[in-house]
Amino acid sequence: MFDLIGHLGLGFATALSPTNLALCFLGCLVGTLIGVLPGIGPIATIAMLMPLTFKVDPTGALIMLAGIYYGAQYGGSTTAILVNIPGEATSVVTTLDGHAMARNGQAGIALGIAAIASFFAGTVATLVIAAIGAPLTKLALLFGPAEYFGLMVFGLGLAIVLARGSVLKACIMVVLGLLLSTVGQDIETGQERLTLGLVDLQDGIDFAVLAMGVFGIAEILRNLENPEARDVVRGAIGRLLPSLADLRRAFGPIVRATGIGSVLGILPGNGAVLAPFASYTLEKKLAKDPSRFGKGAIEGVAGPEAANNAGAQTAFIPLLTLGIPPNAVMALMVGAMTIHGIIPGPLVMTKSPDLFWGMIASMWIGNVMLLIINLPLIGLWVRLLKVPYRLMFTIIVLFCSIGIYSINNNPADVYFTAFFGFVGYVLIKLGLEPAPMLLGFVLGRLMEEKLRQALALSEGSFMTFIERPVSAVLLLLALVVIVIAVLPAVRKGREEAFQE
Amino acid sequence: MSADNSPSPPLQTPLLLRQDFLGGVLVIAVAVFAFWQGADLPVGTFGGMGPGMLPKGLALLLGLLGALLVLDAVLEGGSPLDRWSIRGPLFVLGALVAFGLTIRPLGLVVAGPLAIVISAFASNEVRWGETLVFGVLMTVFCIGLFKFALGLPIPLAPWAIDY
Repeated sequence: MFDLIGHLGLGFATALSPTNLALCFLGCLVGTLIGVLPGIGPIATIAMLMPLTFKVDPTGALIMLAGIYYGAQYGGSTTAILVNIPGEATSVVTTLDGHAMARNGQAGIALGIAAIASFFAGTVATLVIAAIGAPLTKLALLFGPAEYFGLMVFGLGLAIVLARGSVLKACIMVVLGLLLSTVGQDIETGQERLTLGLVDLQDGIDFAVLAMGVFGIAEILRNLENPEARDVVRGAIGRLLPSLADLRRAFGPIVRATGIGSVLGILPGNGAVLAPFASYTLEKKLAKDPSRFGKGAIEGVAGPEAANNAGAQTAFIPLLTLGIPPNAVMALMVGAMTIHGIIPGPLVMTKSPDLFWGMIASMWIGNVMLLIINLPLIGLWVRLLKVPYRLMFTIIVLFCSIGIYSINNNPADVYFTAFFGFVGYVLIKLGLEPAPMLLGFVLGRLMEEKLRQALALSEGSFMTFIERPVSAVLLLLALVVIVIAVLPAVRKGREEAFQE
Repeated sequence: MSADNSPSPPLQTPLLLRQDFLGGVLVIAVAVFAFWQGADLPVGTFGGMGPGMLPKGLALLLGLLGALLVLDAVLEGGSPLDRWSIRGPLFVLGALVAFGLTIRPLGLVVAGPLAIVISAFASNEVRWGETLVFGVLMTVFCIGLFKFALGLPIPLAPWAIDY
């Protein structure tokens, strides 16, 4: 307990330095600015803004990136409420009741409760990370290659189950992602693999390039095809602060959703996407009058928003303790950390405690800042949302180009982004969801490394994965979740859940 | 296997226009291509894996899964293919390529407005005058933000000034 306070003290001392505070603020601000643009989720936002952090010291850079991440998350909710366009999968749920509230003239209250719910969830999640970060790190040091491999297989299993559409297609996408991750020099022999003879592919495919193409550019192409009737809320936003009665209504959902989100966020394999859906379904079941949902129930905004934010934050746990990114956003964080010479994993906490705890403290500060930035600036975001899409997407294209070029100052990265944008478009058209592919890609290199180590240690015997209890349990869990998802009864339920 | 079967009579869609059939064929093609590209890489043994083990193994697995998807489309149908557009991808991707081609020799002063103007044609609501003004304004904004506020080493106009 004293440890915890001491650690957090160190963290706050680091995060509250004027420079880091300014970086956190700047990150939240530009993150929200880009995140508010319709159709741009946190992944594209971070990929685009990553170069902004290159000139800063590692701690400051990570603090700023975390700020960008929260800003993008919150920006997405703002768009979901005001325009009914979710920036990414996790804010889909918010559009249901959030936009309905906005139509009823309660846009301000919807935004206000979203901010309050996110803040509460963020605060709890920060404490959760601080409390279990240290013990998990100790556990991680006991993990051998076989256990790491088992954990990542489990993560991929979850990603397959959590994807929309058929299990077979999700499997295909995971394997495709793994295959893409083998491009580049072999980790042991340095031999070139599948590089097509291109110098620019020697170091493998850059994750930011892949993510930006598949999520940023392809999303623009999709939006261009559906000339949406963008229904930006007209008229007044109204008062922002919810009444006491509203708060009382929202309190239970917020607390429950924070719990759900915190737990799901820790799971490898992007469990966080599930959190808002789970919270919404739960609140609808618990409600005395479920018919209010979809027509502007405040619980339907407060719950999913809290779940979303809690999950977004606890997703840092697998990254900071085990070095395993549980989703695409965290994979971008790995990229940013590597650029600054930090290898994410259990050693970060012991080797650079100020960075580790500073980042955790800045998560909380970031949440405070979002509250301060967003509520007064909502008028500005509304005006931004009224820019017609025919102009807005062009500036998104330019930002993408500049952002991607700046990562390595290499024009080839821009070409590859265009290529992957096209790939993403084809995938959308064929009903193949890119999210599992990205996770396969993210985990691919590490999985190969651990697999090779484990098998080298066991002299080629696959029994090592079964003989070691932890890896055996993890692999069994992976098998169980996939088998369950394929079972007819569950499959039906899963389809219904995604349709909602 | 296909879980997103629509209730519409999918088997009446011609095979070549079924989403999953084309998807499966494409997946198999990617797998074959990857296997061919990695053909020369040594596989090694399980105890001492060579660089070719995983690329080839994964390509085989991918091809197998692709075949399952094709089989599924033949037997169960699945959704018909969406309409594809050419205009959007052509101009958006064209804008990216144009940016990449011009950023080094001509700098952001040229590449910025170019990217905006070309991509604007991806939308059929494009308006010339508005787009040009917007392109110039946004380039000025980006120069201010990325070059001066953040100090990123982006070439501005190497043909006129030193950077």
